[in-house]
Amino acid sequence: MNNEAKLQQAPQKINAAPKKKKKGASLDSRKARAGWLFVLPFIIGFVIIYAPIVYDSILYSFTKISIVTGGGYRLTWVGLANYQEALFVDATYIQTLSAGIKQLIFDIPAIVIFSLFMAVMMNEKMVGRAAFRAIFFIPVILSTGLIDKIDQSNQLLSYMGDTTSMDMGDGGAEQTNQIINAMDVERLFRNMVIGEELLDYVVGLVNDIYDIVNRSGVQMLIFLAALQSISPAIYESCQIDGATQWETFWKITLPMISPMILVNTVYTVIDSFTSADNQVMTYIDKVYDQPSGNVLSSAMAWMYFIIVMVIIAAVAGVLSAYTFYQRQER
Amino acid sequence: MNAQNTTKITKETKNSIHVDFERTSKKERMRIKYLSSSFVIGVVWWLFRFILLLGLAYVVLMPFFSKVTGSFMSPEDFIDVTVKYIPKYPTLDTYKAIIAESHYWQACVNTLALSLFCGVSQTFICALIGYGFAKFKFKGSTLLFLLVVLTMVIPHQTLQLSLFMKFRYFDILGILNLLGGGVSEKLELIKITSINLNNSYWPLALLSLTGLAYRNGLYVFMMRQFYRGVPDELEESAYLDGCGTFKTFFSIIIPLSIPMMVTIFLFAFCWQWTDDFYTTVFFTSSGMKLMPDIIMTPKSLDTDFAAGDLYISAIRNTCGLLVIAPLIVVYLFGQRYLVQGIERSGIVG
Repeated sequence: MNNEAKLQQAPQKINAAPKKKKKGASLDSRKARAGWLFVLPFIIGFVIIYAPIVYDSILYSFTKISIVTGGGYRLTWVGLANYQEALFVDATYIQTLSAGIKQLIFDIPAIVIFSLFMAVMMNEKMVGRAAFRAIFFIPVILSTGLIDKIDQSNQLLSYMGDTTSMDMGDGGAEQTNQIINAMDVERLFRNMVIGEELLDYVVGLVNDIYDIVNRSGVQMLIFLAALQSISPAIYESCQIDGATQWETFWKITLPMISPMILVNTVYTVIDSFTSADNQVMTYIDKVYDQPSGNVLSSAMAWMYFIIVMVIIAAVAGVLSAYTFYQRQER
Repeated sequence: MNAQNTTKITKETKNSIHVDFERTSKKERMRIKYLSSSFVIGVVWWLFRFILLLGLAYVVLMPFFSKVTGSFMSPEDFIDVTVKYIPKYPTLDTYKAIIAESHYWQACVNTLALSLFCGVSQTFICALIGYGFAKFKFKGSTLLFLLVVLTMVIPHQTLQLSLFMKFRYFDILGILNLLGGGVSEKLELIKITSINLNNSYWPLALLSLTGLAYRNGLYVFMMRQFYRGVPDELEESAYLDGCGTFKTFFSIIIPLSIPMMVTIFLFAFCWQWTDDFYTTVFFTSSGMKLMPDIIMTPKSLDTDFAAGDLYISAIRNTCGLLVIAPLIVVYLFGQRYLVQGIERSGIVG
């Protein structure tokens, strides 16, 4: 009962804090105590809810669950069986996983570069800036969760439909799905010596533009904030020294916001591996819904998580070598 | 007045001078201004940017447009080959059928209560935690902050099963299991080892109150960065005037951080509103009506015809529109805070 009481008494404890302060204790220790009180909700939550959940989740991936009548469940330790099943018995998991990771690696640069580009454009003064900003942040708020899910199946449907019937009552998805086709780009790039893969990649990106716009909202916000924080004095002195806008972008803007490129890259990875349209997550969800597939899905999710962590570590390692920190002396 | 061209500066009165100089002709000035390369590049860039933004705005808005027009279409429109965007036989039947059959208003009220509570509590708790991390140095604060980042990095989808189990058999550190109060059921004494919190607001409320809900790590991070930018002198002067730490926080810091908190509230509220993951994990379909239950095909609408698939798709889109209808209003009022709050946050640190 001790902890439960603690949970309920947290607000009273907060009120009692200033009284305690009058007794002795040095300023530092008093401040430290206040700090603990401020983060107390998180500590309580972490100890009571989060840590057990993570522990359980790892534990479940090594067990089989059977529900006991009368409230409760029984776990039987099966060792690595779930992992073995995911890797060797389940036919599609490895395929989905490798396809998903490939997709992830292709998507990261596209989203980060696009959001940086958009942020730079929307940071400039121009006609209708407020309106454009309002429009581009719509997806951040509105195209999440349920709507995202609807859009997924919606596009699938129109994709299937567009060959058989010409009357796309629901024109939008079709339009965004097929802005250009590979032929157009091929004609454009025929004389340039670029590989077939790169061509496919570009076509894929252009056709996925709706998806990319949708997923780069938060990144745009973060880049915009970063751009706003660069002192105008630096730009001014560049201008006086005769630098063009192009040079200013590469020599000033890019290094100044490079820490945010790192942050955004990591955020993009995390965001896209939890998003509803991620094929691996969709697959894990599907497995979760199968009878007795729930522990299997835990094992799959943890494997996926570890792989993504490795990707994040690699990307962060590479990027942080090129990141420029403007150290401010205090 | 001195009209002579040669003299450049003449003294008019004691305190003022008059300067005469030969101006470049208007034609020359225009030529230099408008025929320079920088001007042309400027215009081209301006045009390019405007068209690009317009195109991307189209990409963002088009799905909404198609959803709206699709929602007014009747089955006849889907059969008619000539109809593409604008319905010929507009009807409100789709809306009516969905609202009638899916307990729309009930779901709205339930979700509003849930999202409001989650939004407000998450905003407040994350501000509290963020302030604690930003302004106080205590042993283990770095480690704790790493734990916050950890909660952000491990997606809740990974924890799906254990989240469900945790609240299905809710127990605080095994205390209930140890104490085990008895309740008689069917004349038999059954030891209560856990409480089932699923199908209630409790799981999400507990997660929100402890800063563990959806993307709360991000909010804590944003608040921390914001508070780091607040000068220490502000609090010091409050301390000198005899305010305690918490009084300072509530009467000085909170009013200061309203724009940032509005931004976070917007995120928390809207993401909770359209949330699909938590509501399906914690709520069974037989339980409380929430937004995901609205996404359905009403039985009264006949979808069994040639273009029926499209009609079903349009119905689903209409459901989506009904879900976000209240959010659009919120967005219209709140969107300027979104950018402002983030800009002022100085997230960059």
